[in-house]
Amino acid sequence: MNIRQSLVRIVSAATLMITTAVAAQAADGPLVSTDWLTQNLKDPKVRVLEVSVVPGVYEKGHIPGAVNIVWHTDLVDKVQRDIVSKDGFEALTARAGINDDTTIVLYGDNNNWFAAWGAWILSYYGVDDVKILDGGRKKWEAEGRPLDTATPTPAAGTFKVKDTNPALRARLTDVLAVVEKQKDAQILDIRSPDEYSGKIFAPPNSQELAVRAGHVPGAVNVPWSKAVNEDGTFKSKDELKALYASVGVDGSKPVIVYCRIGERSAHTWFALSKILGYEVKQYDGSWTEYGNAVGVPIVNVAGTVWGGK
Amino acid sequence: MTRSLTPAALTAALLLLAAVVAGAAVLGETPDRGSPSAYALLIGAGLGYVFQRSRFCFYCNIRDAFEGRGTGPVLGIVAALAVGGTGYAVLMSTWLPNPRLGLLPPEAHIGPVSPVLVAAGLAFGFGMVLSGSCISGHLYRLAEGSTRAPFALAGTVIGFVLGFQSWDLVYLDLISEAPVPWLPASLGYGGSLGLLLAVLAALALVLLPGVKRDSAAPAAAASPYRALAEAVLVRRWPPVAGGAIVGVLAVLSYFKVQPLGVTAEIGSLARTAAADLGWLNGRLIGLDTFAGCATQVIHAISDNGLLVGGLVLGAFAGALPAGQFQPRRQPWPSYGTALAGGVLLGFGAMLALGCTVGVLLSGIMAFALSGWVFALAMLAAIRIGLIFTRKF
Repeated sequence: MNIRQSLVRIVSAATLMITTAVAAQAADGPLVSTDWLTQNLKDPKVRVLEVSVVPGVYEKGHIPGAVNIVWHTDLVDKVQRDIVSKDGFEALTARAGINDDTTIVLYGDNNNWFAAWGAWILSYYGVDDVKILDGGRKKWEAEGRPLDTATPTPAAGTFKVKDTNPALRARLTDVLAVVEKQKDAQILDIRSPDEYSGKIFAPPNSQELAVRAGHVPGAVNVPWSKAVNEDGTFKSKDELKALYASVGVDGSKPVIVYCRIGERSAHTWFALSKILGYEVKQYDGSWTEYGNAVGVPIVNVAGTVWGGK
Repeated sequence: MTRSLTPAALTAALLLLAAVVAGAAVLGETPDRGSPSAYALLIGAGLGYVFQRSRFCFYCNIRDAFEGRGTGPVLGIVAALAVGGTGYAVLMSTWLPNPRLGLLPPEAHIGPVSPVLVAAGLAFGFGMVLSGSCISGHLYRLAEGSTRAPFALAGTVIGFVLGFQSWDLVYLDLISEAPVPWLPASLGYGGSLGLLLAVLAALALVLLPGVKRDSAAPAAAASPYRALAEAVLVRRWPPVAGGAIVGVLAVLSYFKVQPLGVTAEIGSLARTAAADLGWLNGRLIGLDTFAGCATQVIHAISDNGLLVGGLVLGAFAGALPAGQFQPRRQPWPSYGTALAGGVLLGFGAMLALGCTVGVLLSGIMAFALSGWVFALAMLAAIRIGLIFTRKF
């Protein structure tokens, strides 16, 4: 055997060992890497779900075998202004082929914005093994990994909701209890600084508005996007810890996160609860409920209450 | 052909194509852009080239048919719809396997059918007669040195602003509860495609007797290479070939970028300018809930802007070697009618949520009834408009 052949064999053996190690490595954390997913795509116990903000993104190419979850029809009950009902959720898990022992990997566009929201809803309905593909579509595409356009039709899933997890969800009364000092928790507003201060009511082109601009009294502000790196991955555990500690959110008290319509904040909920292990509730009523509610106090440092000065 | 195939013109065309390819390569590597933007530019360039080479101009082709100068060119539009519709059926049946769920396929140009759509089609048709072309036609005619096209396109922007200002008024009463009919929801994909092809075949049979043979037979070229070069680069392509290529590009565009359309960027520019000037309030009720050539307040070039830019560059690459870039001064009144026609084009395209490309081509290919309604209204307006212009 000449040197070149030996080298090739050594390199092949090393590659094989590394890939086997990656594949075998149980994804025990809340995040899976693009490598891990590539190795485990064929695993019948792994179900990949795409939740993208922009319609049509999934159809033009998705991770092979991924099932599409349409956020504005599959995950909400529009009439009730609520998350999807238990029956609707079970219909969704049946369609997506989710069983009790399924490992779910969610991903999406926009730095996994709505994938995290999907993770919150799955967790609320008691699905145990919920993970997010770190970096989402952005990283998967940047690495030139394969995409498929076929729409899979998995065998119907058998998952049934046993218990919901109300501890993951804050209602207006929970937020008011904190504002009125009846409960001790930290409130985290993940909108832009201009929304937080009340300079603007909502980002441009937003249809859903509140009658008042500003934020919940006592809330601190860390825009959701500060939790991600340029490649779409979540920042490291230490970086996240420091980021939130800089505004006093350190896990010593329960946290309530909110945004404008209650979806973006799920991204921060995921970072705080799943990655850092803090006790976190998502307030999905968010600013469009709080800012519109009668008889509740707000803070508006910009002086734009009721749209006037 | 004295002015065609000069080395300078060929070099200019090659440089343009090289610029498009280089631009696409850069876009493909640009963060937050990637391959959809690269394809938007390339598909736009291909479209502009084919539009120019085969004279894929809705108005000129329909006018020729109405005025007895031959129905062949209209067959190009029929071919585009047949090829595009077939491709769309393949994509849609993959993306939305069950069309009867009450959902619409993503992004497809399936619009509400209401009296507003009829009025918009009529306005657009009259705008074509007045200005001498539709919006995509004016865009590619820039490359032929049309001095009316810039006036028509400026009018289009004004028309869009007028459309935006009328939107809230008509939306609540006429559009908000209008049906959004999509044929596969009731006929399935096979039935819808079968119906589309049957209608197009019937149209083709009606049009065939009126096809005029090309009387200008090409002179025998010095060599087979020269003959090929002249057929591709100089002489007008057979309309059906051009139309078939437009159909293929429409399917590629729907697959990679978005359905073909040429007004989203123009409309967005108009909307942004009007919003910056304080002529519009920030919201147009319900407008952003419809698929179509959607407009938004933007401050960056969208993929549709790249497609439109590519279209103009591609048309230049087609016109220059053929010696068809020939600017001519027109009398001032003619610029006035181009501007007025442009206003009607923009007004119609805004209220119809697109133009001959976005609503008619992409809509009919997507089996939307809105595409046919717009087409019929536009045809009626062209017919009436032609009678009217002959009288004056």
